[in-house]
Amino acid sequence: MSQADPKSPQFKDAEETVAAIHQGDVDAVVVMRALEGPQVILLHGAEEPYRVLVERMSDGALTTGPDGVILYVNNGLCELIGYPSNRLVGRNFASLFEGDPPELVPEVTVEASLSRNGDIAMPVAVWSRPLSIADTRATLVRLTDLSIHRRAEQIAAAERFARSVLEQATEAIVVLSPDGHITHASWRAEQLAERPPVGCRFSEAFQLETQGSEDAGRLAGFSVESLDTMLATKPFHGVEVKLSGDRNSTFLLSAGPLVDENKVNVGSIVTLTDITERKRAEEQQTTLVAELNHRVKNILAVVQSVAAQTVRSSDSLETFSDTFAGRLKALAIAHDILTQTRWIGIGLNELLARVLAPYRSAEGTRVSISGPAILLPAHAVLPFSMVLHELTTNAAKYGALSTPRGKIEITWQLNDSINRSVELVWQEREGRRFKGGATMGFGTKLIDYVISHDLDGSTKVYFDPAGVRWEITFPVSVLAGVRSAPDSTTA
Amino acid sequence: MTGPDAYSLRLYVAGQTPKSIAAIGNLKQICEQHLPGRYEIEIVDLMKDPALAMRHQIVAIPTLIRQLPEPLKRIIGDLSNTEKVLVGLDIHPK
Repeated sequence: MSQADPKSPQFKDAEETVAAIHQGDVDAVVVMRALEGPQVILLHGAEEPYRVLVERMSDGALTTGPDGVILYVNNGLCELIGYPSNRLVGRNFASLFEGDPPELVPEVTVEASLSRNGDIAMPVAVWSRPLSIADTRATLVRLTDLSIHRRAEQIAAAERFARSVLEQATEAIVVLSPDGHITHASWRAEQLAERPPVGCRFSEAFQLETQGSEDAGRLAGFSVESLDTMLATKPFHGVEVKLSGDRNSTFLLSAGPLVDENKVNVGSIVTLTDITERKRAEEQQTTLVAELNHRVKNILAVVQSVAAQTVRSSDSLETFSDTFAGRLKALAIAHDILTQTRWIGIGLNELLARVLAPYRSAEGTRVSISGPAILLPAHAVLPFSMVLHELTTNAAKYGALSTPRGKIEITWQLNDSINRSVELVWQEREGRRFKGGATMGFGTKLIDYVISHDLDGSTKVYFDPAGVRWEITFPVSVLAGVRSAPDSTTA
Repeated sequence: MTGPDAYSLRLYVAGQTPKSIAAIGNLKQICEQHLPGRYEIEIVDLMKDPALAMRHQIVAIPTLIRQLPEPLKRIIGDLSNTEKVLVGLDIHPK
């Protein structure tokens, strides 16, 4: 065994080391272990648990001296900043941050932007506390990465937003996981579902019945399970369905893929759009178009008939032209009335007032109208308008309206005993005096024809020299005093 | 940092033991005062990698090693005795 040379540097170092340990100048020693190699042994063992905690915690921790120089950093801070400890110890604390460094207030947490890898700003919460280590005034600083918290807050906010949108949606919307289970449901979807939908398979919550052979064919090939899977994984649009629990409503079933930020399919969004009103409107429109076709054909037949009859009774082209134009105008007025009243009908006195408006006198004594309120049904408006046109035309040509003092009194009553008929009297007075043996012209024949054939009624005409008198009776299927027009007016 | 009068120093510490913390602070202060602009300090935390102790046969912590200028010198302790440090590093006070 060789003796160490007391004058050698190694001996001197060993001597100084022993002396330093003896004098308490050191607080840790390195020992060589056979298996582990060099190990650091702290001479104050009670601090060991805290040292391990600080070393292992994910938060960043550092100690600065009184001048702001970093004396110690833990592994967590090295990972946050992206540099090893030997590039951080000795730097100034302020240099770790983007922009202004945080103002360290004892026991107060402030936010700051840490410079990661020298250029990326990372939001951190900074907490500090002054401490005296040996005789050195130091500050302990903890830095907590807020980017994860911020991201979590953003995700939570986005989740709340999406949930709010879903809950407020007026359509039934559900979100399906790829295996066909419902993960989210709108308020409307929860109302329509047969059970609380979240957690159920789609087919458990909604039992579908397809509409029409084409749609039935599109869904018929799927079992309940495969329908769930199909809705959860395939885009799917526009199949009309009914729900077994709500047969009065019709829905349009659609599904669209739900993808995450990496474009990976994570399920689907299935929508049940209530199209009940739309379907009703479509059906109503179809009915209206058919009705319109029917009415157009009818009116063309009427025009054709009026034209043919007017030709037969006209002795010249001028006569035909005037008469035919007048009758067409009467038809047009009747159609206007029907359109305005949506083919419900019109009050009898209102119809009379409109047709006779051109003959009303300023003093209000030329034409009087008097009778109970009666709703003339739509089917009677056109023929009765034609009758009124012929009556007023005859009066203007030959009767009361052909002289300045002539008057017409129109009265009617309702006779409930005979098929709820209206009995109307058209009495002309003080018109041109009829000579004995007056005969029926075409207009008169037309009145009789229309009342008997189109209105299933009857007429009587008296050619009194004082003025012609018509007694017209025809049934009205709808009798009501619903119109606001007064019971009688005098024009 | 190069040059004939440049100081390359390496301080071995053990986490933030009181003497390690004190040694870092004292060393920075001494260098700024007596070696401004011509020193380089490397802090080696043996708590993180004890094997680094092998290079300079470190036994006690903290230990300061003067790597340059040669010859290699070592000072053990928290470096609170400035005079001892200056002598140990062959630095002549200004």
